[in-house]
Amino acid sequence: MAYSLSLGLLYLGLLCGNGLVSARSELFTPDPSRGPHFTGCRSREQETFRCWWSAGIFQNLTEPGALRVFYQTKNALLSEWQECPDYTHTVKNECYFNKTFTHIWTSYCIQLRSVRENITYDETCFTVENIVHPDPPIGLNWTLLNVSRSGLHFDILVRWAPPPSADVQMGWMSLVYQVQYRVRNASHWEMLDLESGTQQSIYGLHTDKEYEVRVRCKMSAFDNFGEFSDSILVHVAQIPSKESTFPTMLVLIFGVIGLVILLVLLIFSQQQRLMVIFLPPIPAPKIKGIDPELLKNGKLDQLNSLLSSQDMYKPDFYHEDPWVEFIQLDLDDPPEKNESSDTQHRLGLSRSGSSHVLNFKSDDDSGRASCYDPEIPNPEDLASLLPGHSGRGDNHPLVSRSISSIPDLGVQQTSEVEETPIQTQPAVPSWVNMDFYAQVSDFTPAGGVVLSPGQLNSSPEKKKEEENEKKIQFQLVSDGAYTSENTARQLSTEVPPSPGPEQGYQTFPTQAVEGNLWNGEYLVSTSDSQIPYLLPEAPPAPILPPVSDYTVVQEVDAQHSLLLNPPSLQPAICPHSPNKHLPAMPTMPMGYLTPDLLGNLTP
Amino acid sequence: MNRVKVLQAWLWCVSLWPCWLSHAVPLDCKDETGSLIQCTSISQEKLLDRVIQHAELIYRVSEESCTLFEQMFVPYPLHALRNQGGTMCHTKPFPIPGSKSEIQQISDKWLLHSVLMLVQSWMEPLIYLQTTLNRYDDAPDTLLNKTKWVSDKLLSLEQGVVVLIRKMLDEGILTPSIFEHTLTPYDEPSPEIPESVLRDYNLLICFKKDAHKMETFLKLLKCRQSNKLSCLSY
Repeated sequence: MAYSLSLGLLYLGLLCGNGLVSARSELFTPDPSRGPHFTGCRSREQETFRCWWSAGIFQNLTEPGALRVFYQTKNALLSEWQECPDYTHTVKNECYFNKTFTHIWTSYCIQLRSVRENITYDETCFTVENIVHPDPPIGLNWTLLNVSRSGLHFDILVRWAPPPSADVQMGWMSLVYQVQYRVRNASHWEMLDLESGTQQSIYGLHTDKEYEVRVRCKMSAFDNFGEFSDSILVHVAQIPSKESTFPTMLVLIFGVIGLVILLVLLIFSQQQRLMVIFLPPIPAPKIKGIDPELLKNGKLDQLNSLLSSQDMYKPDFYHEDPWVEFIQLDLDDPPEKNESSDTQHRLGLSRSGSSHVLNFKSDDDSGRASCYDPEIPNPEDLASLLPGHSGRGDNHPLVSRSISSIPDLGVQQTSEVEETPIQTQPAVPSWVNMDFYAQVSDFTPAGGVVLSPGQLNSSPEKKKEEENEKKIQFQLVSDGAYTSENTARQLSTEVPPSPGPEQGYQTFPTQAVEGNLWNGEYLVSTSDSQIPYLLPEAPPAPILPPVSDYTVVQEVDAQHSLLLNPPSLQPAICPHSPNKHLPAMPTMPMGYLTPDLLGNLTP
Repeated sequence: MNRVKVLQAWLWCVSLWPCWLSHAVPLDCKDETGSLIQCTSISQEKLLDRVIQHAELIYRVSEESCTLFEQMFVPYPLHALRNQGGTMCHTKPFPIPGSKSEIQQISDKWLLHSVLMLVQSWMEPLIYLQTTLNRYDDAPDTLLNKTKWVSDKLLSLEQGVVVLIRKMLDEGILTPSIFEHTLTPYDEPSPEIPESVLRDYNLLICFKKDAHKMETFLKLLKCRQSNKLSCLSY
């Protein structure tokens, strides 16, 4: 029994295998290369079905009636072949099975026969539910579900109704639907999953794009889809929402606020600069003709010229009396200077003396200001100490000392300074032989002091005495580290105020002398081309009537030169005596008198 | 004495009253833990809906099983057998009308009984199918699971239909099967694979067809319950 069953199945399969495939699909295109064959069978609602055939290449069989269809239901294993119950008159080659002849759950086999020739051209078997192609759904419409926030996307809900031919309500056909959509006139349809209900939502559609939507159905658990419904158009215009402009406004506002804050910060950070730009500062008081920068970086000659033109700087020349210091030096170390010239002695640096007077300050003021440098400084350094060099600091008074090589120094100095303190070069040989002290013999109208040359040739004894006298005299000045007004005046009378190339006594402004402290520091101005010694000059002028050694300073004129009492007041009181004794002065010196002076005053 | 008899009869009735109740409720209701609880009642419509859902599921799973089997074991030229709907289905002796008109004329009683008969007729073959499918070397697990699932669901479907019959038809069916199965006895599976393949394939096709029948009948029944006029033949 089993064997027969299996054999029957195999036979059936082999027999029908060839023709069954065609019955399955929606083949309506007749195959012209073949003979008469069935082109397809279809049922729309599982209640009726139709079959079509084609004559194929056998054109002589095209007339109606030449080919006939016979069918057989397989309810029973053996049943009769019956002819097609209804040949459709309107459609050619169609066999229609109405309700009474349609049985589901039963397999049909149909044959295409040519009765005349008794030839079966084609046979196919099927069950009705397997050839059901449902009608398309009807009533397709859509509703808008929502639009995205950006306004670029939207969702819709598509609804339809089952085909009226399909008896879904009774449950005769249980349909499932498939929705497809695409952008209008695009080539590819988007397919959604099968839906057993009659509605479906479509998500993520773009606004401003037109879409086509269509739907088709099939019986559930079967494979044959029906025809598509008519497409509907879906279009949602893009609404420029107000909210889209709102963020841009916010962005603008915040941007502006940010910019304002930045500007304010900028202004506050660059306040100083802006103040300078918008509110220029009032210029500070300036010295006419002198650029403060020049003082810092300027050259010596420029500064010299500048300062010389300034009257107010002239008194600076007389601030210091380094010649007194110099004198002090000499007193300290007389025996050492025997061989060297006086000038050298005066100008040169003794090792011990320099300890007292020379204040060689280095650039780094490390507190060793008072320490002396035992080494002999370079002439350049010394030269730099001169007031013409600004590099040597402002606080440190400069020393105008020349070292041994006077000519060299002189050369250097002449190159740098307009007025060299050591301008004794031309007079080197002359005053070497001269006494250190000279007597003022006369005053030039210009205010210069004429020294008596006769003293030069005085006896060495007298010289010495003169020297001693002078020394004492000047000692008076140096002792106590200050000089009185009168003594200053006296001293100043003997010193011409002119800063000429010839050397002479330099006048000191009284105020400055008092203010000076002798700490071993010296104040030397640029034009103080002073060698703190007295230079006697050869007085070519006629000897004036003998002038007393001391004269009372009457007043100081505008040019800071001292006006002395005319010597005529005391015509014969003081004969010019070679001795430098302090004669009885015709006029009592006003002011302070040292006891020595007092002693001299007594006749 | 009459009074005594009446009293005795009344006492008997009272004592046997729980038994009647138990008879009236043939199904035992159990909750998750397994303890017996009072059964919750369900309306007829809901029960019918659930039965229909069962039938639909069974039908869909049967179709999937058939497709799986077809893809795995059946050569392509024989796929057309499916269209034939299974030529040698075993329920042949039981005539079931095929046309819609005829089906519409079937009574409710007949419908329910037909469904019940179909369900009961397929219980044994499904068990057989499970055993045969296990013998295949590369049978997919999904196929085996589906067949097992279907056989389980068939049992519950049977129970539902029984309740429906009792409720709708006021008939009491205590024994699961009262109809004699005229099943073709199946021999031991032959060692030749192709025959068993064809046989199993045929079995699956027939089962799918019968499941479709069940679903159709139940839906028709439902239609009749809700709206009788539209479901009747025109």
